[in-house]
This record gives sequence, C-alpha cells and structure tokens, in this order.
Amino acid sequence: MEKKTVDLSLLDGVLEEYAPVKGSLITILQHTQDIYGYLPKEAIELISDKTGIATSEIMGVGTFYTQFRFEPVGKYLIMLCQGTACHVNSSELILQTIKDELGIEDGQTTEDGLFSLKCVACLGCCSLSPVMMINEDTYGSLTPDKTKKILKELREAAL
Amino acid sequence: MRIVIGQGSCGIAAGAEKVRKALLGADINCEVSVTGCIGMCYLEPIVDIYDDDNKLTRLVKVSENDAEAIASYINSGDKSFIEKLEVSAEDSEFLSKQIRIALRNCGIINPEQIDAYLEADGYTALKKALCDMTPEEVIDVIKTSGLAGRGGAGFPTWFKWNAARQSAGEEKYLICNADEGDPGAFMDRAVIESDPHNLIEGMLIGAYAIGAKHAVVYVRAEYPLAIKRLKNAIAQATEKGIIGNNIFGSDFSCDFTIKAGAGAFVCGEETALIESLEGHRGMPRLKPPFPAQSGFWRKPSNINNVETFANVAWIINNGGEAFAAMGTEGSKGTKVFAVTGKVKRSGLVEIPMGKTLRDVIFDIGGGIKTGKEFKAVQMGGPSGGCIPTDLIDTVIDYKALGATGAIMGSGGMVVMDESTCMVGMAKFFLDFTAKESCGKCIHCRIGTKRMLEILERITNGEGKEGDIELLEELCYSIKDGALCGLGQTAPNPVLTTIKYFRDEYEAHIRDKKCPAGECSALIEYKIIPEKCKGCTLCARNCPVNAISGTVKNPHVIDPNKCIKCGKCFTVCKFGAVVKE
Amino acid sequence: MINLTINGKAITAPEGSTILEAAKANGIDIPTLCYDKAVEIYGACGLCVVEAEGIPKLLRSCSAKVMEGMVVNTESERVVRSRKIAMELLMSAHDGDCVAPCQLNCPAKTDCQGYVGLIANGEYDAAIKLIKNKIPLPASIGRVCPHPCEKACRRKNVEEPINIAQLKAFAADMDLKSESYLPEKQPATGKKVAVIGGGPAGLTAAFYLTIMGHSVTVYDMMDKMGGMLRYGIPQYRLPKEVLDKEISIIEKSGVKLVNNVKLGKDFTIESLKAENDAVIVAVGAWKSSSMRTPGEDLEGVYGGIDFLRAVIQKNPPEIGEKVAICGGGNTAMDACRTAVRLGAKEVYVVYRRTRNEMPADKLEIDEAEEEGVIYKFLTNPLSFNGENGKVKSITLQIMELGEPDASGRRRPVPVEGKTEEIAVDSVILAIGQKLVTEDVSELELNNRGNIVADDDFFTTSIDGVFAIGDATNRGASIAIEAIGEADRCAKAVDAYLNGQALDTRVPYISKRNESTIDYSDRKKESRISPKVLPADVRNKSFDEVSLGFTEEEAKAEASRCLECGCREYFKCKLLNAAQRYDIDPDRFAGEMPQKYTRDENSFIERNTAKCILCGLCVRSCREVMDIHAIGLMGRGFKTEVSPAFALPLDQTKCNNCGLCVQLCPTGALTEKANLVKQVPLDEQYTEETVEINGEKASVMVSRYNGKILRVIPNDKLSETCGLSREELMKLVKE
Repeated sequence: MEKKTVDLSLLDGVLEEYAPVKGSLITILQHTQDIYGYLPKEAIELISDKTGIATSEIMGVGTFYTQFRFEPVGKYLIMLCQGTACHVNSSELILQTIKDELGIEDGQTTEDGLFSLKCVACLGCCSLSPVMMINEDTYGSLTPDKTKKILKELREAAL
Repeated sequence: MRIVIGQGSCGIAAGAEKVRKALLGADINCEVSVTGCIGMCYLEPIVDIYDDDNKLTRLVKVSENDAEAIASYINSGDKSFIEKLEVSAEDSEFLSKQIRIALRNCGIINPEQIDAYLEADGYTALKKALCDMTPEEVIDVIKTSGLAGRGGAGFPTWFKWNAARQSAGEEKYLICNADEGDPGAFMDRAVIESDPHNLIEGMLIGAYAIGAKHAVVYVRAEYPLAIKRLKNAIAQATEKGIIGNNIFGSDFSCDFTIKAGAGAFVCGEETALIESLEGHRGMPRLKPPFPAQSGFWRKPSNINNVETFANVAWIINNGGEAFAAMGTEGSKGTKVFAVTGKVKRSGLVEIPMGKTLRDVIFDIGGGIKTGKEFKAVQMGGPSGGCIPTDLIDTVIDYKALGATGAIMGSGGMVVMDESTCMVGMAKFFLDFTAKESCGKCIHCRIGTKRMLEILERITNGEGKEGDIELLEELCYSIKDGALCGLGQTAPNPVLTTIKYFRDEYEAHIRDKKCPAGECSALIEYKIIPEKCKGCTLCARNCPVNAISGTVKNPHVIDPNKCIKCGKCFTVCKFGAVVKE
Repeated sequence: MINLTINGKAITAPEGSTILEAAKANGIDIPTLCYDKAVEIYGACGLCVVEAEGIPKLLRSCSAKVMEGMVVNTESERVVRSRKIAMELLMSAHDGDCVAPCQLNCPAKTDCQGYVGLIANGEYDAAIKLIKNKIPLPASIGRVCPHPCEKACRRKNVEEPINIAQLKAFAADMDLKSESYLPEKQPATGKKVAVIGGGPAGLTAAFYLTIMGHSVTVYDMMDKMGGMLRYGIPQYRLPKEVLDKEISIIEKSGVKLVNNVKLGKDFTIESLKAENDAVIVAVGAWKSSSMRTPGEDLEGVYGGIDFLRAVIQKNPPEIGEKVAICGGGNTAMDACRTAVRLGAKEVYVVYRRTRNEMPADKLEIDEAEEEGVIYKFLTNPLSFNGENGKVKSITLQIMELGEPDASGRRRPVPVEGKTEEIAVDSVILAIGQKLVTEDVSELELNNRGNIVADDDFFTTSIDGVFAIGDATNRGASIAIEAIGEADRCAKAVDAYLNGQALDTRVPYISKRNESTIDYSDRKKESRISPKVLPADVRNKSFDEVSLGFTEEEAKAEASRCLECGCREYFKCKLLNAAQRYDIDPDRFAGEMPQKYTRDENSFIERNTAKCILCGLCVRSCREVMDIHAIGLMGRGFKTEVSPAFALPLDQTKCNNCGLCVQLCPTGALTEKANLVKQVPLDEQYTEETVEINGEKASVMVSRYNGKILRVIPNDKLSETCGLSREELMKLVKE
C-alpha cells in the first residue's frame, strides 16, 4: 500500500497532553497509531523531539509490543485469536481459510488494501472459540464457511 | 417488565448488540437495558426478562430474529412465544451450583451505571474501611480471610499489602494487573466489563491499606470494551467523590489512572508490568528489590490481580471469617475458572476451593461436548500443565494442583478430548512462550526457541531418540536459570505432557504416528470404498484436486497430491474419509 | 562487614556488596557476560548464578547481596550444569567463526589469516614471527606444501582461494634476505633430547624444544639435513639453497646437527635413551611402495623417491627417451617433471582415474602438461614387459569410473578385455612410500608396518621415546602434517621432561555453518600467483620454476583475504566462558536469530549475528554516555541491537567513544585497529599517560611490532572526555 504524506499536525493535541507526563510513551504511540493506522517514521521523530526520548528508545518500545505497526494496514484488520481454547477448537482451519480466501499470510495486507491479517494473543472470548476480531467487532464460533461469508460481506460492504 | 441483555465481549460477539437493536426496534413498551457477562458464555446471546415482581425468565441463544417473539410474549404474557428460547433446567444448574463472590454482580447489574452498583450495596465496604477501620485493621481482615493472589502465584494478599505498608516513603502506588494474557482465561475481562466498580472499590480499599495515593490499572489493549467501561466507571466514581480527595469525608485521597498495555504477555510479570507502565520495553527487572520496596518510579508499589481485588469489598463487608469458612486448609474462599475447550458448557465458574476438577468439568461443565472421552485439562495456561483423567478428582487447592505439575494459575481450564495431541499441545504453548519471551535472559530467549524446534521436529515426524531426554534437560535448566516467572514456568506444559503422556511422545518419535490424529505430517487421509457413496462432495472441496472418482462410485485420495488439509474429512457425510 | 563463606573459604565483605563483588575481591572468579560496574545491574546472562545454602533458587550473584553467615558455592554441580546449558544455548545462537577455516584446516594450525593480513599491511616482520610460531621452515614449506589451508579458504566461493602458501614463502624469503628472526629462547633446562631423523618433523621438534630451553641433538643418516624436503623434492620446486638457509637458522637457535650416522648401525634407540632424557624418532618413510604388478623387478623400473633422490644426489639413473610414471600424486609430478628435465622425449603419467581425481596439486598437473608430460588417464598397469631383463613396454588396462568409494571419489573399474600397450625405456613407480621397518625394530609396529605412537602424546612402546612423522601410525603424509605433529610433540616432550600433565583437549571454538554463508556482496578479484619461468625454458633446467611474489603482488593477493576469523578471538569473554565448561552446542543447533550483516563507521564494526544480547553496548551508550545511538529492537529470539529505523551507525549520534566496543564481550562490536587490513592479533596492552585538556589521563595502548594499533581509555577522564578513539590515539607518543 502506498503511504500517504503524514500530517504531523494531527499529533499536536496528543503531544500537548502527554509529552510532559513522564512514562507516557506507550500511550502516545497508541494515540499515534489510532491517528495514522500505524507509526510513521516522521511521527516517531516528532515524538522524539517533543519528549526528549531518543528514537532508538522509541523504536525499541514500538518493536517490543505486538500492538504497534510500522506499515499502514488494510481497511479491515483481521485479528485471529491464537488462544488455547481456539487452538483446541481448530483455529488452524480458520487461519487456513482466511489465507486461502485472501491470498495473504500472517502480517500481510491484500493488494487491494482491504484486508490485513494478524494472528494475535488470546482475545478472551474463549467460550466462542474459534474467534476473530475485525476492527472493533468480534466474531465467534467460526467455521470455514462462516468465515468465508463474513469476508465476503465485508468485501461487498467496502465496494 | 424489563429486558436485560448480556453484553460482555462474548455476548456481543455472539450477536447481543444485534438482538438489542432488534428489541429496541420492536413494538414493545418496556425498558431494555444491558448487563455484563453472566458467565454462561456457551448460551450467548442471553436475554433476561424480569416481570414486575422481579421474577426472571432467561432466554438463551437469542438471535435478532427472535425479537418479534419476545415482543409478542411481553405484550401478551403468553409464554408459548418464547418457550423454545427458555433456558433448560439442566443449563440453569450451571449457575445454581456456583457460589459467587468475585462475580457476584456480573451479568446482573448494569456495568455502565454507578447507581446500579450502589443499589447492590456498592462502595459500602469502602466507606466502612475508610470511616470505621484503620489500614492495619483492613490488612488484618484480609489476613483472616486467607485471600491469596488470584493471578497465578497464590501469594498471601495481606503479606504483600503489609510489606508495602511497612515500606518507607510517602509516595506509594497501588497497581492492578489486568493484563490478562493467559490464553484461555477471561475472568478479569468479565469482571471489568461486568462490574468495574467492584474492582475500583477493591483497589481503593487496598490503596487505603498500604497508604497509596495513586491507583493504576494496567489493562490489556485487546480488551477495548473493558477499557471503555472502566474509564466510564472511573469518571462516574470521580464525579460522586468516591475517587479523589477526602473520600467519604476521610483523610484518604486517591487518584486513579488506566494504562493500556500494548500486547506483551510478559507484562503480566510484575516488574515487567512496571517497566511497561513507565513507558519502557516490558523486560523484567532483577528481584530483589521487590516492588514493595522499589516499584513504579522506584517507589513502594503493590500489585494485585483483578480477581483478587474483586473479592476485597465482599470480605470487608462480610468479614474475613466468612471468606475463610470456604475452601481448604491452605486455600480459602472461592476461585473463578474459565472453563473452555471441548466441554459442553463453557463459561465462567466460581466455586469454593476444595471442590474437585471433576465437579467443575463434569458436574458444572457437563463433560465433553463431542461424545468423545475426556483426555486432560490444561490449567494455568503457558505456565501451567495438563492434568490427565487419572487425576480428575484432584482437589482445587494451590498445593494439590501444584503437586500434579500444573498450577492453579489465573483459572484457565481448557478441556481436551481424545482428538487433542498432547505433543501438539506442548508445542502450542512453547510457540506462545517463545513468541512472548522478552528476550532478556538466555534460558528463556534461546531455550524456549530450542524447545519449540525440538517439539516441531517431533510433530513433523523428524524426532530422534533422545529428544525426550533433551527436552527434559532443557526444561529443568530453564526452570532453574530463567530470569522471571514467564521463563521459569515455560517448561511446565512440556514437563507435564511428558510426565503423563510420554507414550504419545514416543509414538511420534519411534513409530512416526500421532495417536490423536492431529499432527498433519504424521497422518494420512484415506477413503473407505465400502462407505463411500460417490457423492463427489470431497472431490469438489479438495483444494488441490487430490481426490478422483466418478459419481456414485468410490473415490480415491492420491497421497502424493494430498496436503492433509482435512477438508474431505470434515465434509464427508458418510464417515468414509478416515485419518490414519 | 559481613561474614560469609564462599567455596569453603571464610571471607568478609562490606555490607551491601554483591556476592559477585565479594567473590572477586577474594580471588574467586565467577563468570559473567552482562555485568560491568560502569552500568546498572541487568541480570540477563545468568552465568553468574551461584548456590547458597538454604535458598532453593539459584542466585544471580551480580545482584544478590551478601548476608551474614551465608554459605555460597560458586561451582556446585547445579551451578555448573546451569552455566553449561546457558553457554550451549548461547553458542547455538552465536553465528561466528572464532578462527578462520584456513587455520583450522592447516595440520600445523598455522595462523594463516594472521600472517596473510600482516603481509597485506606490509608488516612482514610480524608475519614471519606469527608463521615461525608453528613452522620453522616456512620458505621451504611455502614452496612445497599442498596447502590444505587453501582448500578451506572461503574465497574459493567468491572466485579462487587466497594464495596462502606462496604468501608464506614470500614472507619467509623477505626474512631470509636480512637478519632472520629467531624467537627468544627460554632459560636452559639442562635436559637433553635426541632426535633421530633431520627431516621436517625432526627439525621442527628439535627447534621448538630448543626454544623451550632444552639441549637437542638431531642425528641423521644422510650427508645433509632436510630429509624428504632435500632428497624427495626436486630442485626446481625447492632450491636447496633456500633449505640450507632455513636449516642454518635452526642450527643458529642452538640445535646440534649430526649427519651421516645411522640408526641400527651407529646407535640404537636404547643407546640414545641412555644418554638423553628423551628420544624422538622421526625417521620418515624412505622405501618406495610396490604395485605388486608383474615385472616390477625388471631393470629400468625405479621407485619414485629413489629416482628423485638419485637425481638430487647428482647420480641420475639411465631413463632413456620414453618414460612412464605410475601414480597421480605429487611425487608422480616431481618424477615426471624431473624426467622431462633429464631430457626424456616422451614422458607418460599413468593414472587409473581422471585428472579431476588426481591427488597432486592442480598447478603441478598443469605445469607438467605445459612442460610436455602426456597423461594416460583411466589406465592401470597390468604388467611391465621386459626383454633381456630390461623393461620394454607396459600393458595398460583401460579403466572407467564407477560408483563413488569411501573417499567419495568415483572408483575406477576395469573395462573388460580392453588393454593398450605402450613402449617404454623406463618406469617410475610413484605410488607411495614406506618405513624401513628394520631400522626401528626396537619399537612396536602396527599392522601397516608403522610405529605405534599415541595420537596426543606421541609416546611409543618405550618410555621416554616418542615418535612422529611419516614413520608412524598411518604412514607417509605431507610435510606440514609432520610439522604439526612435531610442534605438538615438542609440547608433549616438554611436559614429560618437566613432569607436568599435558592438556590435550581441543578447546571449543565457534564455527559457522558453511552452507549458510552468503558471498553475493563480495566483489570478484582474481587470484594472483607469482610469475613462473616459461615452459620451454624451465623444462630444460632445474632452476626454480616460481619466481616468487613481488611485494606489490603479495600485498594485493593478501588483501583479498575475506577475514573469516574473529578479530576478538584473543580477548573474547564469550569464548573464554564457553571453553570454561565442556560444552556441546550442536545438540541445540537450530535457527540463527540474526543474519550475518556488517555495519561500520570509520571506527566501529557491528555484526549482529555474533551478538549475545548482553545489552552492555546499549546500556553504556544510554547510561554512561547519554547518546542513545543504539537500542534493543524487537523481542524474544529475534531481539536485535540496532540504531533506530535500522540506520547505519554513521547516521546516528555515535561519537566513536568506543565504550560499547570495549564492553562487548564478543565480536559483535569490534573496533578497527590502526591498520589498512584488519587482522586478529594477540595484542598486548601497556598503561600509558596522556594529557587531555592539561590534565593527566590514563590510557591503555596496544603496540604490535612497534606500531600503535589502538588506544583505549583507562580512567574517568579519558572515558568521558568526549574525544573519539582516533583523537585519543593522536595524543599517544609513537
């Protein structure tokens, strides 16, 4: 996906609120990602300027936590749960279905920029396993067919 | 009449929000409100209808299409409209056999309204503690109760509180660990989503006891609804003066902040959590010093888990003795378990300590849903272990569970049947720990990776004689040498599966067979000609065209083309496709 | 003060000190790779664990404080087990070569990369010192060695290996031109050693034992010393003047040389044993092997080494115009090229396999052909046919290549019924050589007819008598093999003479998996060889074929070295810890966490593949220098030390203070020495004083062969003055 030019002014509010508060780096990065969908290099450099935290530290933190991304993601971010209950209830089949349907691997985005796939730690909806979250919505008791249907609906909704 | 819809994350995932919208759109004249998670997750979405006498009719597995029937019932009072939705007597036992303290309000009150909590005697314990008790007296009550850390380690709560209280310094922190990363456990999420004020109350009592003016909750980023409801609850409590200065007119003041984690299981380890709170990489610190002496911003800090705090208000109100009356000699009170996997009734179960695993899995959980045999239950997640059938009567008690090689842990119970490969299970957990290892110490960073590689080769049919012994050697060495709890307990899933299912490991290594039929490299799919009706369904579903045959004649799988995806096995209606 | 016991020793330590500090203050060494007093305690490596009585968990001694009455064991079984596995795991993820493959493949373990690198820098004196640590006859060996080093040289994967042997000859020739280097001798021990045989093995053992201070005499049956180097190698390959000079240096070192005395005639092993404290038997293999082919006893059929010796002794046999040499090794090449030079018109080399399988050096094979030698590949003598007792022709069995044999080469098999006959005037059998067993009848021999000598201690069936070289165990081999044995034997004899135990364990070193090495970023540069005499000139004379490297050629060729061996080898704390315990990281072999990459600025080189994530660099850059040029990126197994955004180091705020390099326990961070080509060297540091801003500051200076290689801060002022290492170096007087 093509990266758009990064409008750094969008960060003004976040930095004004959190830059003076010690220990806020993760919070700032979370807000930054909410704004841009990922952590652009330019934003990290600005955060470094405003907080006095070295870019090497910021990148160290950013690359430590799985939440942070350094590339833009698709319109729909599929987060497939890798928890124990999901594993026991064959989440592997769901993963395979998504890969087959979208032609992408874990961590990749479809060429049309619609879907990104990310395998994530337990989402805590174990009773509905296997489970995935797409953006803010959780989908449970998945079967390969149900998964295909969900993806199809989302694709159609996007068009 | 009023309608209450269960809207925890799982309820919403099951369609509760759609049901709510449908009901709001239906032609009924009654209040439609929400509550959190009742814990009967396998029956979601759940709709509770209270009549004017507050008598409950519980509807389960409701879909938005049922809105009309519900409306008809409400308008007519004719139960026949909803008969098929009503919870069965058997399913009702799931709740009636439990004793709920931490979850006492969950799925009953509206988590988004402080008044609902106040009506349920909320914040009376805080008021009692602040106005009628000294901090030492609070600690004493907790000591009497025998409450122990519910996050996994089971350390006596009063002891930690006391250590933090005794620690010198004006500035102290009370921290709640809501980084529920243990895959298979979700009681903390349920408590925050369903009863956030109970957590806040427990924490404020704790803060008062240790002398902290700052309370911090560290919540997983994966729990957006929990964060939202907790933020809302904090705002409401602040508005009511329950959070802030001179709470209930006492000298006690406390502020409250939420920090969202960013995806790192290791941050459940208390020193890593502190590093993360400070905005750093979540890499554990060396202990000593312990957080009670030098924690958040190097100040005395106390960290407890959500479920631990969720018991505190009840204990203050009902007395330590009432709590200690439940349980065993060494384990007091109740414990919440998240029962999932191949069990019939999955969800949250809170029972007194001293019950057996059988009570939880069979009596309450209803046993195995697939009709297959129970094989093992995994407890304690990546730090825990698998307990086999023979030990199903083990008593729920920190010591008794520890003796099996598993741990109480945070209460995840993943039930497995014969179709679960135990080597695969060990591999699953090692894959998890290897991914979640912070990378600081050698034993965990490289050791878990090497263990995973050995398990991978075993499940791929490339295991060698001596691999089991090599794994064991690594296990004991990692337990001894790793820096933090994550690494020290990472070998447990491997050790317990070797201990109880060594023959399965040997079958993989020596016979290149997976007895559970789960390791794809070690199984082969075949069609039994006598059973095949020639329906062509398998051939049409095969992604690699490995199945040939003509209509109404037995089909054949070409083993050279087969990628062992198992689709034919899943789609065949005649049981003609078998795994070998 | 706190009283405690460590390893049974009662000690006191200041309150608040760690067990590690207390142990160190009392001379007890606890290994650690992530601790340094300059930075905060980290606790990552887990090597410093100790066991304390009454405490169930192992303690990290870098952080655990001493307590009154504590009883600590720093080397308990459990502690050692924990450290051993930690090191095995660490080394299983450490992708690096401690030592270059050329050196490892050299039977004498000569530091090839070291001297090649020094030659590239024009440091010829230093190069010869390094060579003479292992080879006392380098000008000779450089000329004749089949150079196993070059077979292992990784440059072959780019284009061609480095011309290591010729570079050695070059450095040695430079040394012979002026006053030759002699190592410093140890004080005299008063012990006497007799060496039987003055070939490469005997001379080498004698030389090193002499340097160690023993009194050594070499007894040899021939007119002059040198053994097979003199009597088995033709003049055009090794001019005897070169050998003479090298032997004279050995003699100058104090070795006594006695010629024209023969074992069994003039003395026995026992008689020498009676007069000496030790005897080394290095008599070589002087009898040509038989082919067991009919007609071998005909007149005109000669043994290869017999033929070569006769020519060298200026007494060549009559070989006629048509000569056939049987064999494909270097002796066969020496024989055929000598035959050409004697004037033979048709010289055949009969070999049962093909050119590709020939054990002889490729250059020799090519040069012989240029000189007119005719190869008869895939032929094997069936019989030597004679007339009047003199050989006239050979019947050759035609062969073809079948399945590979145990050596991996394809086995030659006869083509049924297909033969060829060639007319010859003489035949030279160059298929091997054997020990003359009657000479050593006092010693136990093996079933091959060679002396039984211990592989590590070189002891024989007689106490105090050692044996090395072609006469032992598996029989004749190449000179450098004998030299390697002789060097090790000298140490064994020295230990024997001093009544000390000899540690023969081969210490662990880290080696890269050859198959994972990527050469795609290397620029191709052709191998340079010394010029040679034109074929039509050299085939008529015994003048040396090779004209040797010019200085310019030698430097250029040496500069091609890929620098495989680690520069931190001599001071690597990681290797030191790995060698402390008997480790076997191969049992945990698996994925390597990082790719082999090189990032460098003017002073620092980074290679994350060798990084062990002790964090010392990141922490010192942050905590001590407040520069934050690098950080820890990612997590778990794939954690990596890197500048932000994976920028190269020279785009960061790094000011080349060098603290990170200094603290790096291994070769993940190295600093460039004041050399054009970087070389792993066993540097020695001396403390010196420099003036920084008018104040005296202490620095450690490494001088090698008189040249300042590097300057390292040694006190607070020199550490924090903000001067780069280059600037610091300028403050030190040459």
